[in-house]
Amino acid sequence: MQEVRIGGVTSADVVSSNDVSTPATKGGRRRRRGQLWAYGYMAPALVMLGLVFAYSLYQVVKYSFYAGGVGQLTWVGTSNYKDLLIDPQFMSSMFNNFKLLIVVPIVTSLSLIVSLIINTSFRGIRKYRAILFVPYILPAVAMGLSFSYLLQGNGILDSFLTNVHLSGLIHDWLGSPSWVIFSIGGVIVWQQFGFGVVVFSAALLAVPQEMIEAARIDGAGWWVIQRRILVPQIIRIIEFFVILQSINMLSSVFTYVYVLTGGGPAYASSVLEFFIYQNGFENGSIGIASAAAVALLALASIFIALYIWARARSAKAPH
Amino acid sequence: MTKKVLGSDQPSSMRISKMASSTIKRMLTMLCAVSVALGAAALPIATNASAAGKTNLTYWFWGEGDIPGMNNWMQQRIAIYEKANPNVTVTLVPQSNDSVIPSFTLAASQKSGPDIDTQWATLPVLQPALAGAVTPISNYIPKSETSHWLDTAENTYMGKIYAMPLYVIGVPLVWNKKLFVKAGLNPNVAPKTWAQFLTDCAALKAHGIIPFGMGNAGGDFGAWMFAIYEKQLLNSISQLTKGVANVGSNRAALLASLTKMYTMFQNLIKSGYVNSNVATLDFAQGWNLFPEGKSAMTFTTDGNALAWAKTLGQANVGAAAPPIWGNGALAKTYDATQSSSEFIASWSSNKAADAKFMGFLHSAVNMKALNTETGAFPADNRFPKGDIVGTLAKQLDGLDTAGPSVWLENFIPPTIDTAADRPAGQVITSGGSAAKAVALWSTQLTLWQTQQPSQFQQFSTWAKSA
Repeated sequence: MQEVRIGGVTSADVVSSNDVSTPATKGGRRRRRGQLWAYGYMAPALVMLGLVFAYSLYQVVKYSFYAGGVGQLTWVGTSNYKDLLIDPQFMSSMFNNFKLLIVVPIVTSLSLIVSLIINTSFRGIRKYRAILFVPYILPAVAMGLSFSYLLQGNGILDSFLTNVHLSGLIHDWLGSPSWVIFSIGGVIVWQQFGFGVVVFSAALLAVPQEMIEAARIDGAGWWVIQRRILVPQIIRIIEFFVILQSINMLSSVFTYVYVLTGGGPAYASSVLEFFIYQNGFENGSIGIASAAAVALLALASIFIALYIWARARSAKAPH
Repeated sequence: MTKKVLGSDQPSSMRISKMASSTIKRMLTMLCAVSVALGAAALPIATNASAAGKTNLTYWFWGEGDIPGMNNWMQQRIAIYEKANPNVTVTLVPQSNDSVIPSFTLAASQKSGPDIDTQWATLPVLQPALAGAVTPISNYIPKSETSHWLDTAENTYMGKIYAMPLYVIGVPLVWNKKLFVKAGLNPNVAPKTWAQFLTDCAALKAHGIIPFGMGNAGGDFGAWMFAIYEKQLLNSISQLTKGVANVGSNRAALLASLTKMYTMFQNLIKSGYVNSNVATLDFAQGWNLFPEGKSAMTFTTDGNALAWAKTLGQANVGAAAPPIWGNGALAKTYDATQSSSEFIASWSSNKAADAKFMGFLHSAVNMKALNTETGAFPADNRFPKGDIVGTLAKQLDGLDTAGPSVWLENFIPPTIDTAADRPAGQVITSGGSAAKAVALWSTQLTLWQTQQPSQFQQFSTWAKSA
């Protein structure tokens, strides 16, 4: 039989590839079997993920079209979403989340500055870093109690301000609707600052020393080294930190609000998570809570997309 | 090339998979065996328990927030009951102020939770009752017994009593006589009218004394102002309930009366007659200004008044009904309630046992112990008044039982209490206007109507017939 050649592939090759008994095919089958095993091993985890995330998400979206509590649900279509738009508590909760975004540049710049300063090795640096990290691991309840005493009207901070003749700065930090969200922001800065320092310090330690040495030899001073070498070298980490903190400000600030103010006074410090908690658990309005959860997910998704994009860009970037 | 395994004709990969498969089979067999063994082990226990007729009652209880010592009293009653009834176990789960309503709401949605629960009187009990989560206690305890209980009207609907009272608690105005003297006021005369109250406040403030000490971080002070002073504008409770149920022009009338009440409240705050940090102190912190001798007056519970009299000296504490501000027919009613109300959950599988235990709590010995150990006034007309010790205690009991009482907060749905009543009070104590507080009520009432259609319907039906 004459061998036919088409595009570099001979008929013999085709025959060979169809021959099930060849070692190459056996290898492919083994690979496929191996892959099946791999999927088999992954299956329980995938099922769990499906149950935990996909099913829960489906339920939340479904409930967002109902009114009433569990057991007394009534289909209301999109009216929960319309109600959200006219509910001043929801709107102010959302704006409070946006106001808390101010924390992100503050905590990022403070952490970065301190990380750059303590990056220069000096005696006791490890202990210093550990001390800075302590607030991050403090239990929320202890933190809430301490700061409520510190920040309440005529509390420790106000007494201190009076003693140093700064009575003009006295406020009811947690009781004033115009100050309360910024007071909570201050507590978040205090707690997240240590985390930022640890993240940036770790990134700075990974910067090759040769670069810094070379810059020094070229006559670069401390400031130039920080600005032109160290910060650009850890810029991806800074990006990640900013995006993660932004996601946190939208969807992980419930604890601060709950322990410090309980959302008060009169919803002035309520955030979206608190709104969801209050409606879902305290008021039993599962529908409106679910609609707010969907809205929060949509908002957080913007930042999650940014995060994924930044990660992809970072992976592509030459090292 | 396929490698052969010594002593076998099969390829190694297959052998390994077979080995793995047999291992999995062995493990599964072992798991099954363990499960069966565990099941078999558990079965005799269950059978034994069943054979022995052991009854387990779970009791979600609240009372400590009203009267310190209630949890301890209840623990002791349970110990006595279990000793007398070895086949019954009562598991006490004390609830906090924050968890009372949400935990039972969640339990009711799952139809699973406590056998016996505590809610505050009237709507916190009747709302779940209307949704089918509460079994009327009058189905299990005869009228000959329930007729001795006080204030059962608070939890009665369509002739059925849904919850059992334990104690009656009033909310008096208390004043520090020493501080009154310091401000040049008569220490033995309480302000009876709002005008007198404001005059006293002005005198106290002029002498550097905080006239009225309170905390409103959780919205409690605002809720109490609503309960005491919104009531004083009403001629009947139905004016409130019809307003909440949005019947005719009642909603507008309710909002108008709320505007009046919050304007009065706002003026009180603006005048500086309440501690300046009222917005950030919680209820207990605000109250503490009184026994610490920092504030001259406050509203409190009977239990606190008695405890503070021990701290400041019986002769230094005066108690009276809150000053009258409004001109409604309800203005002259007092502010006592059974507060903590005990009931049987509809899903309880031991309803008769629940009722038997609850009935036991009302025995003469237990009611006497309630008063002796906590100072609370038992909600039972068989309790001999002569057993109440102390002038102040007798005076407070007199206030609680002399005439009709209404605690208005009991008559609004818990959701409205949480979402409108408490935040509206916070608007005022944090410097906001009465208009803003009332707007909040209006919005939340509208949202409740659309977001809780079943609750709204049940409330409207109850409001019509109650």
